[in-house]
Amino acid sequence: MLRIALFELRYQLRQPLVWVMTFFFALMTFLATSTDGVNIGGAIGNVNRNAPWVIINMLGIMSILGIFITTVFLAGAILRDFESKSTELIFSRPISKLQYLGGRFLGAILISCAVYMGNVVGMLAGGAMPWIDPELLGPFRIAPYVFALLVLVIPNLLFTGSVFFSLASLTRSMLKTYLGVVGFFSLSFLSRRMIRDLDSQFLSAMLDPFGLGALQDITKYWTVVERNSAIPEVTGVLLYNRLLWVAVGLVILLVSCWRFRLSTEQPPVRILPRWLRRRRKATADVELARRPVAILAPIPLADRFFGTAAAWKQFLRQTRLELGAVFKGSLFITLLAFGLFNLLASLSFFERLFGTSVYPVSRLMIQGIEGSYAFLLMIIVIFYSGELIWRERSLDLSGVYDSMPVPNWVFFAAKMVAQQLVVLAFLLAGMLATVGYQASQGYFEFEPMVYAKGFLVVVMPFLLGCFFASFVQVISPNKFIGYLVMIVFLVSTQALDALDFDHYLYRFGSTPAAPYSDMNGYGHFVTPLVWFNVYWVFGAALLTSIAVLFWVRGNDFAWRKRFDLARQRFRGPVKGALAVALLGFVACGSWIFYNTNVLNEYLPDDKLEARQARYEKEYRQYIDVDLPRVVGVYADVDIFPKERRVEARGRYRMVNKNAEPLRDIHMSIPPQVDVNSVQIGSYDLKDLEAKIQDDVLGYAIYELPTPWLPGEEMELRFDLTIAAKGFVNSRSNTSLVYNGTFFNNTQYFPRFGYNPGQELQDRADRRKHGLPPVERFAKVDDLEARRNTYLGKDSDWVDFETVVSTSEDQIAIAPGYLQKEWRSDGRRYFHYKMDAPILHFYSYLSADYTVVQDKWNDVDIEIYYHAPHHFNIDRMIESVKDSLAYFEANFGPYQHRQMRILEFPRYATFAQAFPNTVPFSESIGFIAKLDEEDDEPIDYPYYVTAHEVAHQWWAHQVIGGFVQGATMLSETMSQYSALMVMEEEYGPDKMRRFLKFELDRYLRDRSGERVEEMPLMLVENQGYIHYRKGSVVMYALRDYVGETALNEALAAYVEAKKFQQPPFTNTIEFLDFVGQAIPADKKALIADLFENITLFENEVDEATYHQRADGKYVVHLATKARKLRADGDGVETEIPIDDWIDIGVFGEQEVDGKKVPKVLFLEKRYIQDAAPVFELVVDELPVRAGIDPYNKLVDRNSNDNMDKVEKADEVS
Amino acid sequence: MLKIENLSKTYPGNVQALKGVSLEIPRGMFGLLGPNGAGKSTLMRTIATLQEADEGTITFGELDVLRQKQEVRQILGYLPQEFGVYPRISALAMLDHLALLKGVTVGRQRKELVEHLLQMTNLYAVRKRNLSTYSGGMKQRFGIAQALIGDPQLIIVDEPTAGLDPEERNRFLNLLSEIGENVVVILSTHIVEDVSDLCQRMAIIAGGRVQLTGDPATVVQKLEGKIWRKTIDKLELEDYQRRLSVISTRWFGGQLIIHVYSEAPLGDGFEPIDAVLEDVYFSTLNRAA
Repeated sequence: MLRIALFELRYQLRQPLVWVMTFFFALMTFLATSTDGVNIGGAIGNVNRNAPWVIINMLGIMSILGIFITTVFLAGAILRDFESKSTELIFSRPISKLQYLGGRFLGAILISCAVYMGNVVGMLAGGAMPWIDPELLGPFRIAPYVFALLVLVIPNLLFTGSVFFSLASLTRSMLKTYLGVVGFFSLSFLSRRMIRDLDSQFLSAMLDPFGLGALQDITKYWTVVERNSAIPEVTGVLLYNRLLWVAVGLVILLVSCWRFRLSTEQPPVRILPRWLRRRRKATADVELARRPVAILAPIPLADRFFGTAAAWKQFLRQTRLELGAVFKGSLFITLLAFGLFNLLASLSFFERLFGTSVYPVSRLMIQGIEGSYAFLLMIIVIFYSGELIWRERSLDLSGVYDSMPVPNWVFFAAKMVAQQLVVLAFLLAGMLATVGYQASQGYFEFEPMVYAKGFLVVVMPFLLGCFFASFVQVISPNKFIGYLVMIVFLVSTQALDALDFDHYLYRFGSTPAAPYSDMNGYGHFVTPLVWFNVYWVFGAALLTSIAVLFWVRGNDFAWRKRFDLARQRFRGPVKGALAVALLGFVACGSWIFYNTNVLNEYLPDDKLEARQARYEKEYRQYIDVDLPRVVGVYADVDIFPKERRVEARGRYRMVNKNAEPLRDIHMSIPPQVDVNSVQIGSYDLKDLEAKIQDDVLGYAIYELPTPWLPGEEMELRFDLTIAAKGFVNSRSNTSLVYNGTFFNNTQYFPRFGYNPGQELQDRADRRKHGLPPVERFAKVDDLEARRNTYLGKDSDWVDFETVVSTSEDQIAIAPGYLQKEWRSDGRRYFHYKMDAPILHFYSYLSADYTVVQDKWNDVDIEIYYHAPHHFNIDRMIESVKDSLAYFEANFGPYQHRQMRILEFPRYATFAQAFPNTVPFSESIGFIAKLDEEDDEPIDYPYYVTAHEVAHQWWAHQVIGGFVQGATMLSETMSQYSALMVMEEEYGPDKMRRFLKFELDRYLRDRSGERVEEMPLMLVENQGYIHYRKGSVVMYALRDYVGETALNEALAAYVEAKKFQQPPFTNTIEFLDFVGQAIPADKKALIADLFENITLFENEVDEATYHQRADGKYVVHLATKARKLRADGDGVETEIPIDDWIDIGVFGEQEVDGKKVPKVLFLEKRYIQDAAPVFELVVDELPVRAGIDPYNKLVDRNSNDNMDKVEKADEVS
Repeated sequence: MLKIENLSKTYPGNVQALKGVSLEIPRGMFGLLGPNGAGKSTLMRTIATLQEADEGTITFGELDVLRQKQEVRQILGYLPQEFGVYPRISALAMLDHLALLKGVTVGRQRKELVEHLLQMTNLYAVRKRNLSTYSGGMKQRFGIAQALIGDPQLIIVDEPTAGLDPEERNRFLNLLSEIGENVVVILSTHIVEDVSDLCQRMAIIAGGRVQLTGDPATVVQKLEGKIWRKTIDKLELEDYQRRLSVISTRWFGGQLIIHVYSEAPLGDGFEPIDAVLEDVYFSTLNRAA
């Protein structure tokens, strides 16, 4: 056996493929470790390039790519003997099955491991490169490598090796072995997609044969520090997963060993069930050869034709033959089945929010097809291109075939059509499947046009891919080099993007992304899509012409000969085709270039970053200059949706509120805005002396001829044009669109002074550009900074009036009350005016809306929506009403007499509260599916609406100064307010489910922190803190303090701070108010919840009960309670526990035939002990008991807080 | 008439397969004899437009074979040394397909032609069977059927009889000679009988060079009276080989029989025999070696 293994090893070491693959692996990890171009394993932000977590992940991910090695080597080890027909030689030797298979297996596994070590070498070398930011390198440790190799890599190689070895030895067919590869990819993908769903994490972690799902499950809450230092423990799901799959591999190996026959005939392994197999007619083997040769009449003469007409006939016939080759047989069906399985499994996870799924609208189905096919179908295309192009040669048919008087294009074209039809078949099957899925979900609005357009959009890259892959196969001297080139191509398209070579002009078959919105269709994305696709079609024609020129007949692959031949063939139609293709390619390319790089600026990410850096370097010095303050706004805004153009003419009333006169005006107008004119007072800016005028960054400093005195009022008049010109390569303007225009004043209107919001945030990016660590938010008590709200320094409260016009078929909306509406010159005009001061922050929208109106007391409620999105409008109205009622009762009066919700396209996925106006993305609630009966989904349209209504108090009445914690005052408080409204509507059980999502999101996202995690009260505009953690914290606070007491404190706070003048409020003031509501024994809450990052690790050790003589039950509950404080990097220190924590005992009761928990005991207990033990007496049979059973506290392992209560052993 | 002039071909790795081969091949059966690796297949593939030559020309009538490939393919019938088949396709369908590729685009004519060829090669009864289930002989006959499609003027058959049993071989050669009367048929083989039985003209090729051309009768005649035979003990063989030009050795009934070429009569128990083509072949190879 060892001899066979050694033979295998020696044989493989002589193969160039081994070295090529080793090199390829080393290169990948080298690049991933030492550059930003390739990212494997996720070293982002402050996670070190050589962090243990990164090493483990990278090696783990590479072990999936390792499938390719195992297939090649393990399947190859077996199949080589069959292909070279040397089995008869080998099997006739006196070796046993075990020796043969075992030897081969061992040898191939060893070689696979060796090749795989290329990864490790690449990583080590990469980590030693001098250009790596030294702050991103931790100390070298061997442990993560050992862990990755022992826990992930070797088990994976063993497992996949066993599977493919078995497949190959039993089927003796490379094709069927490839099938296995595809299958495992699918399973792994599916597992990692499913893991995002909270309820099936264990299952999905187990399902991933590569163990990455399990690893992800264990490390998902890891902070930066843990990622940089810790090694996961091999316990729980990871351990089970590894054991399971190694065992599965072993069993498969044993079975195949048992089934294997040491003979040239192997009983066939059927992949398809019997009824799917085509019955083969058993033909009697008549050996007619024994009859004498029939000497017949001369061979009948047949006319022969060699013109174009004949070639067409031949082409059609050859195509039929190729199609037969592709579509007959189990391979295609199996691949298709994988594809559809993958697709259908992914559909229900799309756009799921808080566990609630959405209506299967057709564009979502298209997205599903696009997403789940993307990788799979490309691999299939690559696979078939190799198979088809090399088919005659691998069947030994090329002698006969290539000497046929058929033009080269016939063969190439027939093979192309066959591949294209594979793609089309996949897409059509996918569409049928999704239509079926829609129907199965009771959704029957199929929207054939969406499908038709989506089909075109999705299919093109694959059709083009067929050409590219086939071209590569024609050019390459053998199939495997062709495959390798294609893999490099696939990887390089990703890498180029990351290296900021992101123009689609040089990435074959790629086009700018064209997101579909129900409101706006493909909108303005159609134009670039069409141009790029036409460009690539010409490109494909070009490749085809070249392929036809270089098409090899026979086996002569010497390049000199091929060039000679190509020169010979370069005439007639090929010449013409090539010329036309080249001309078209260049012409389209030029037009695209003119649009993307001349009409518009082509700005890859690195240039954009450099620009941001320059903005900071040059203008940050002006951060504290005195600015005038806008106090009133009037604007005429004309929106031309079809032209994607906006004309804005406006006036600011401005006051110098500073103590000193203003001499310089710091103007900031975004570079994409065309300034027709700007006047300040009586001066035209054109006439003023510009100390600085930077049109690229949009910053300018003008000197006023006469100083602007303190208290003096001036008017700024502006006339601007914002227009989309031609089309762009990326970062298309999605604010100005055909239907669903949505922008706010900060995007286009003149602003004043330096805007720190444009600074680079990522630490490493900043170092790269030579910037110091980011200037953080001002300290929470910085009085100077509190002179401004966090929305900007040039304004606080303003009067607002606007006239907005749009095309005849649309409605245009801005904050304010409609004063007048009229039509003129085929356009609609709307005059809005605000009755109360608002922040200098307002939106403009225009779309073809359907409007629903309602009323709550004297407040008008209006929902403007896209007609087909009617599903949840009622819920939104209900939410507005409930919210207004709760907030007016608990926080104070609403400042406006109107509340409007306006749908906008899904290019952005948020809702945003402007005064009395809430733009609301079509993708976060309008199509949420709330009518499912079985599992009562979380009504997030209701929740989001409540959150946005709450902003009318929290932001639009009370707004924090521009210091730490500002967003807690608006976002966290809106979360809390929405939670309260939602709890009233849906009850506390629903809230628990909702909060579980919030807790999970908080814990997950804090591990992706790029700067520093702040305590809640010092939050620096970090979403996962002010939203997610905010929800959890405020809900807990409410629990400790009581709703009434808390709300009274909040109402007092609002009353004291609303519409205040500088200095604006901060979280210290807020906590002063809240603190008064907290009972004396629980004052520590403020430190735990707001001032620090506090984590608990509560768990049940043991829970038993016995029944007392009086029939009551005594529950003995032994628990553990730990309390930790974390710093901004996630370093934890344990502190003594000193808290009130819920202790609960639950029984069971039957409601509507379902068993649901019944609370038998729930009380806060004061805990000072790390292992508190409780004796609790309950009336009914206890089933479960626990500490903090409802997960009100931040706890990283929330599942061990409760446990079953066992009956105690009889105590003597 | 096929005319090959000064044809040379070197494979990558400096393996020279053809060294200045010149041949004139008239109508009728032409046998190309040579051991394995002599360059036969390279020559055949080059004529069959499947390979490029480094030097030299090939013309067929007016056609420049190396440049007018497409025109050559129209009049070519080629049976490669080895050829596979598509899985899952019947002989009928495959032959029909190939006929179409050869330009027989009229369906009715094609049907007639294909059926005729199948009958001619005695495959008609099994025409609906998958080609992959055919035996070696049947496959070879299918090969000749496809090579005969479209009235080829130039037929190239590369080692067609290798692996056929004697009876199959006979039938196959009969078939070939039937059609070989009016067109150029090049039959490459390393089996001497194939050539002696069938061919009007022949060439022996070894080491990439043409060693001998002529018609079998004439070349055999040239050896008349120069071939001697003796039955010897195997221990003596080495001695004979050193002294005389032993062109072949063969076991017969447990004894070793040697053929020796000598212009002068040999005594010592040697008896003169009638030369056969095999003697020509082996003596030529001997000289070449």
